[in-house]
Amino acid sequence: MTGGYLHGGWNFVWAAYGWTAIVLTAYGASLLTRLRRSR
Amino acid sequence: MTVPVPNHRFPKLPYLALAAGVLCLIAGSYLGLFVAPPEHFMGDVQRIMYVHVPTAWNAMLAFTFAFVCAVFFLFTSDWKWDARMEAAAEVGCVLAFLLCCQGAIWAKPTWGVWWDWDPRLTTTAILLLAFIGILALRSFVDDPVRRATWSAVATIIASVDVPIVYYSVRWWNSLHQLQSSPATVSKSFHLPLRLNAFGILFLMTGFIILRARIASLRLADELAPPPLPAVEPA
Repeated sequence: MTGGYLHGGWNFVWAAYGWTAIVLTAYGASLLTRLRRSR
Repeated sequence: MTVPVPNHRFPKLPYLALAAGVLCLIAGSYLGLFVAPPEHFMGDVQRIMYVHVPTAWNAMLAFTFAFVCAVFFLFTSDWKWDARMEAAAEVGCVLAFLLCCQGAIWAKPTWGVWWDWDPRLTTTAILLLAFIGILALRSFVDDPVRRATWSAVATIIASVDVPIVYYSVRWWNSLHQLQSSPATVSKSFHLPLRLNAFGILFLMTGFIILRARIASLRLADELAPPPLPAVEPA
């Protein structure tokens, strides 16, 4: 950071989007698995 | 109380909601990552807001829905509200956990730390821990009536924290910025934010319906009358 301005930081952006995709996909998959088991 | 009968009038509805959510999230994330301009001070790191803010809105919505379900269950004793409450609490926890992770990833380059005991962050962490406690309580209690009643009361108590989370940035001196509105955000940021907000809303709806089905199937199994003893021939 220089003078109150942020430069770069794409690695943080990809980390946030990637982690969001992983968590939502994993939870959705766990729901489908649990639903199949409970039937 | 009657034995719950899992009633799936629209079996494809959660899958349609999930598909709509994924499409909205793909479109919103594409616009947020590659089309929207970088913010003046935060630069490209601000793009995290296109997933962080919609996650926050929908986490609070899930916990508010859990509160509504808890109140309806206590007034009506209808098991479908218990199943919905369990579903909304669990999905709310997943979104609140995600919210804290996204916030930490954003905080490191902007605040210089992964976490700060700021009022907004602290009240959000308390909310997440309270609902994790409610889910733990539900897993420990075997009697369905006690489990439903106790967790409904606990959900109502925990939900008091939802407006505290919302107003924490106004009530206390917070490092976290105030709530934004369309009037305070540049128009070029509106579309990715709205698309992702609807994307996570559709995903959350699909998740809650699927999770409520799992809960109602388990309840139907738990509350079903025991099989009649076999009659021996005379």
